Amino acid sequence: MTGPKKRGCLGCSFPVLIIIAVIVIAIIVLGLMAGAIGQSLLGKISWLSWMSVPKPEPHLPAPVLFHVLGLPITNGVLAGWITVIFLVVISWVVTRRMQIVPRRLQTAFEFILGWIYDLCNSIAGEVNGRKFFPVVCTIFLFVLFNAWLSLIPGFGSIELIKYEPVSEPAHVTTADGHEEEYEVVTIDGEEYIEHKYELIRGANTDVNTPLALALVSFIFVAYFGLKTLGMGWLKQYFHFGPLFRSIGRIFKGKLSIMDIFSGVIDAFVGGLELLSRFITIISFTFRLFGNMTAGEILLLIAAFLVPWVLAIPFYGLELLIGVVQALIFSLLTLVFVTMAVSSAHGSESQGHE
Amino acid sequence: MDAEAVKMLAAGLAMGLGALGPGIGIGILGYGAMQGLARNPEARGPIQTNMILAIALAEAIGIYALIVAIILAMVA
Repeated sequence: MTGPKKRGCLGCSFPVLIIIAVIVIAIIVLGLMAGAIGQSLLGKISWLSWMSVPKPEPHLPAPVLFHVLGLPITNGVLAGWITVIFLVVISWVVTRRMQIVPRRLQTAFEFILGWIYDLCNSIAGEVNGRKFFPVVCTIFLFVLFNAWLSLIPGFGSIELIKYEPVSEPAHVTTADGHEEEYEVVTIDGEEYIEHKYELIRGANTDVNTPLALALVSFIFVAYFGLKTLGMGWLKQYFHFGPLFRSIGRIFKGKLSIMDIFSGVIDAFVGGLELLSRFITIISFTFRLFGNMTAGEILLLIAAFLVPWVLAIPFYGLELLIGVVQALIFSLLTLVFVTMAVSSAHGSESQGHE
Repeated sequence: MDAEAVKMLAAGLAMGLGALGPGIGIGILGYGAMQGLARNPEARGPIQTNMILAIALAEAIGIYALIVAIILAMVA
């Protein structure tokens, strides 16, 4: 031990350390007892109302909050807008006063963007990488900050309460054996059904946003495929040329079973390619949606089982999962668009042979 | 068994059986990455990145099962 001799550990003197440890242990024990695990072990102890967490009721379809020009606006869409506004504002702040020697925020964003740019260049090559970079980076930033912003307290915890008059159709929808519990409250002598909706929640926890992103990625791939390959890109999917040619040869009197057979196989393989391209959209959608939703439900369940304590490690896990999912979505888009562009060279070289 | 019990059983089975395949896949991926790392410790960075990517791809299949289980248990 060099340096000045200090009593204590972890930068605190021993009394402070002991106090902190006692507080942490007290929080853990209280959380264990107040949560669902403790309540089922110890029986019903009447805790204070803010100490126990109610049973989470995740609902998969995002509820419609209000309408703008006849379009339904769900809480997921609201969170998507917040993400976009956040990104625009932070880009403006970062690029307002750019400096040769970057400040802290500028350094962080230069690091992220430079990393994705290098990734694009290393996968798609110098020329194409620069072309693909904007869309890939936009997808990455949107998914990443959407996932991270939905971890902030306030997302999913602020509730909007709507009152609807009691009507017969509402009872019909609730009577199908599904345990949707509406609280009926009485205001001014009339009964209303109380709906509680989260005001904002992560946009990718509603299946429509990942679907939209997947469609954007699909159109992006198709655009660059058509632009560089022209009709050659479509030929991968509608590969009827050899079949028609072999059928045409029958009329010239040259019947060859092998030609027709390989033509049919080519057409069939093209159909399979087309099918797999559409399955890709679905797989993109459900991968992102499932990961984000599972994370949200995991946090809810953790907070329900052991309040205050158990959710903290899972928050760290969710930070990592946000990065990984954003990376996978953008990277797969990049790989597919690179394949779509570079398969042109393959067919060209075959044509030259 | 009543309908509710079958629903819960189906949700548990969907999650449990659906986690089998991705578990095996992630195990194989980790095995491969460890072998690569042991043979070539300098390539730690790229191996780790690609391993995490591939694990996330394998994990997505488990996530599909999870979605089915959630839909069965909570929505359907």
